[in-house]
Amino acid sequence: MNTALVIGVLATSIMSGASLLYATLGEMIGERAGIVNLGLEGIMLIGASTGFAATALTANPYVGVVAAAAAGAAANLIFAYLVVGRSANQLAAGLSLMFFGFGLSALLGRPFVGALTHSLPRLTLSGLEPNGTAARLLSHDILVYLALPVALLIWWLLFRTRWGLQLRAVGEDPAVAFAAGLKPNVLRYQALTIAGVLGGIGGAHVSVALALTWVEGMTAGRGFIAIALVIFAKWNPLWAVAGALLFGGAEGLQLQLQAAGADVSPFIMNMLPYLLTLLVLVLWGWSRQLAAPAALGRSFVGVE
Amino acid sequence: MTGRKWARAAAAAALAALFVGNPAAAQNKLTVGAIYVGSVNDYGYNRAMKDGLEEMKRNIPGLTLIEAENVPETAESQRIMEGMIQQGAKLIFATSFGHQQFAFNLAKIHPDVVFEHAGGWMQAPNFGNFFGATQAAWYPMGVAAAKMTKSNTLGFVVGVPIGYAIGNVNAFEMGARSINPNAQTRVVVTGGWADKAKEAAAANALIDQGADVVTMHVDSPATILQIAESRGAYSIGFQSIEARQLVPKGWLTGLGFTWGSFMTATAQSVIAGTFRPAMVRQGLGQGMMAVAPFGVAVPEDVRQLVTATADRIAKGFNPFTGPISDNTGVVRIQIGESWGGDKMGNFDWYVEGVIGKAK
Amino acid sequence: MRHDGATLWRLASAQAKAFALAAVIALAVFAMLLSVAGKDPLRAYVDTLVYVFGNAYGFSELLVRMVPLLLTAVAVALPARIGLINVGGEGQLYMGAWLTTAGALAFAEWPAFVLLPTLTLLGFVGGGLWALIPGALRALRLVNETISTLLLNYVAPLIVGYFIFGPWRSPESSAYPQSPAFVEAAQLPTFFHSRVHAGLLYALACLVLYWFVMTRTRFGLEMRAIGGNPEAARRLGVPIFSYMLAVMFVAGGVAGLAGMAEVTAIQGRLVSELSPGYGFIGFLVSWLARTGAGGILTMSFLFAVISSVGDILQITQGLPFAVVNILMAVILFIVLAQPARSVGR
Repeated sequence: MNTALVIGVLATSIMSGASLLYATLGEMIGERAGIVNLGLEGIMLIGASTGFAATALTANPYVGVVAAAAAGAAANLIFAYLVVGRSANQLAAGLSLMFFGFGLSALLGRPFVGALTHSLPRLTLSGLEPNGTAARLLSHDILVYLALPVALLIWWLLFRTRWGLQLRAVGEDPAVAFAAGLKPNVLRYQALTIAGVLGGIGGAHVSVALALTWVEGMTAGRGFIAIALVIFAKWNPLWAVAGALLFGGAEGLQLQLQAAGADVSPFIMNMLPYLLTLLVLVLWGWSRQLAAPAALGRSFVGVE
Repeated sequence: MTGRKWARAAAAAALAALFVGNPAAAQNKLTVGAIYVGSVNDYGYNRAMKDGLEEMKRNIPGLTLIEAENVPETAESQRIMEGMIQQGAKLIFATSFGHQQFAFNLAKIHPDVVFEHAGGWMQAPNFGNFFGATQAAWYPMGVAAAKMTKSNTLGFVVGVPIGYAIGNVNAFEMGARSINPNAQTRVVVTGGWADKAKEAAAANALIDQGADVVTMHVDSPATILQIAESRGAYSIGFQSIEARQLVPKGWLTGLGFTWGSFMTATAQSVIAGTFRPAMVRQGLGQGMMAVAPFGVAVPEDVRQLVTATADRIAKGFNPFTGPISDNTGVVRIQIGESWGGDKMGNFDWYVEGVIGKAK
Repeated sequence: MRHDGATLWRLASAQAKAFALAAVIALAVFAMLLSVAGKDPLRAYVDTLVYVFGNAYGFSELLVRMVPLLLTAVAVALPARIGLINVGGEGQLYMGAWLTTAGALAFAEWPAFVLLPTLTLLGFVGGGLWALIPGALRALRLVNETISTLLLNYVAPLIVGYFIFGPWRSPESSAYPQSPAFVEAAQLPTFFHSRVHAGLLYALACLVLYWFVMTRTRFGLEMRAIGGNPEAARRLGVPIFSYMLAVMFVAGGVAGLAGMAEVTAIQGRLVSELSPGYGFIGFLVSWLARTGAGGILTMSFLFAVISSVGDILQITQGLPFAVVNILMAVILFIVLAQPARSVGR
């Protein structure tokens, strides 16, 4: 156990976890409103490709992130229209969105494969010794620094504002909410728009900050990890932060261990987050805890 | 089944139209098909292949080149290659290792089409294999790294730990050790030839563990080079000598493939009907590989040393000459024994000085 | 609901018309997109038709592509009848392939007529056991099966990866991480110099069996009852718990057969990339077909044709194969947007 390893793992967890966290928070908002979006991977890919393309075109990574957010929101609106406006089956719509994302991102990203871009700059406190411990832990791009505040913001939004209260009510029982005078469909559209923005940003972080490039399918299942994370975090943004660090760390841990000379199977390590989530779910089921929004997955057909 | 009949008629008409509308078909000397596992814009493996094919096309006027990028190393590739054959290809370059079995399957079905596969070992009357003899060429890279490192720790990111890749690491470390017996190489395996996020994390991990020179065997060096540059480490590139454009400050040198003359010669032999399958492994000496230009950070004496070492390799010096022990102390190549090109795929052990597990 | 011929025909042709309309609109939208990208969509469509219908090889490839789709679709449709949602086809496919490989490597000296049935059984059991886990968790009222099947999708390829990089790493080509090639006896036979293989027979058999069980047996009727109203079914004495387990096992097994076919017929060994999302496409096929057997056959065929468009795009237009997913998705979007489709879950 050397310190370089520990520092390295922490730094990777933070970097890797940031993109996961954004996507998780987005999915969480949608699920709090009762909509499960299996197409999150597609949204992230659209964000990653759009972000990278926009950065390459404008030489400005911030523009790239904004473009990714917009693209993510636009794509998610298609999904929103289908499941909220047309009461379509959420799973089928989500999977369709996933394939859409695979295809659209491949098309968008293709001219930009291999392009050299300015990555999101790392912001460091001046006066820190480069490659020293503090520098390693504290030099990240702006999206990483914003991740925690955004999580807190989402928590506050969901649990301390009227809007959040209404949203959660819709997620629990849209019929009752409707009867109480709320507009479930409007709230759901709003939630899914935010989810699209966050998912797009999560994807952009992978291409513009982490890997500094674009290849087809580059988010490599992060969207699904995020869906698992929402469950793991019990639909609570604060737990999502811990979960994102954990899942982000697991991914980087095995690479760090290799560099330090330890022998560990990357496959076993990568399995752990999923198995852990499953275990946690079994335990909750055992203790009869119902954490999920009661109306998750069901569409609401009412009269607007 | 009138629907089907109409479709058939339409198809036949379309097919006829294709021929009528294509006067250039008469002048076509040869149609060559090429499949790439990734994108040709990768500053790496695929780019080098593309550059070679373009050179072949320039050298043979009247040659038609059909290409497909991002062809996975699965049965899908067989489908793609078959499609190219349907379009008239008589020479197919399957440019990635994992395309071998599928190209071989097609070679059995189409004895009139010639297949050249990069990096494998299968042979048939119409199936040949080619690759750069990369392993020995890494030796001078190790020399460059050892001369420039201050921490004595070198980092090597490997995509898939196949024997040839492990051989590359070994030659690198041996080259480094020939200059500096304390030089160590740490290895991180990402598990895939093009997993960009993992490559970034791997490069970071190596630098965290003290590496100040980073190199790689993955399809595209771009991500790793950029990470190294962002953390102030030196880097050595692989696959394409163009990669040096990515890292102005930290670039030391690199290795690239120069496939053009081989591909031209192959195409000409197919046109002339004189193709003979062979297991072609050529290195620095035969023009299939080249050492990249040096970066600004490299002083003149180091440049001369590296160039001289590369010349020795080109003239036949084989670093894999015993006695050589692995990193657990077991002697693997005995005194007087020498491992030649045919054994380069057999590495499942790392030499002394490499920190990592090969199996 | 009347199931006489006339009503069924009307329903089927109404569905077909709606779908055809969706496909036409989607093709137009996709064509516009391709034009914007500077490509030639009409050429691509014509080339596809030529390739698929005017060319024996192209047509045979269609059949090859249909096999895993038919199987994974049944793997979704069967539990759907009982009200269970199985999105775990990917994982079940991989585990079927995994157990098949274990058998192919361990029993390599057996003759084909013993080995192939054994491998078929192993493929079925591998996928079946993998689906049994979420099935049991659901039957015990612990975890929703949608989530558990989804999570297990990610664990299965990692298990396969562990084995092909480790204990099953092919020594002859210590070069490339994959299992050793299967012996001749372990490979499913092919027909007519194409890649069409016996897996097609498995797929069709499963489809026919599925149809038969669902429409002609008491079991099938009971399952419909559970799917429609579990409480009532329970009170009528239908053993829901055992049915859930059995159904998930069989469904996983069918998906496992798809994995078995991939490794024994197409790949000839275990590799890390077995499926480009067959499990998910199967879900969509089953959904589009409303779990009907005839619909599954038709939709699998159509999705296979769409995939061929992807091949053509790659070879003649220089576009990544993945782009064809846009076409597939747009068709689905249009179908999803039609009001007469499922309301509620």
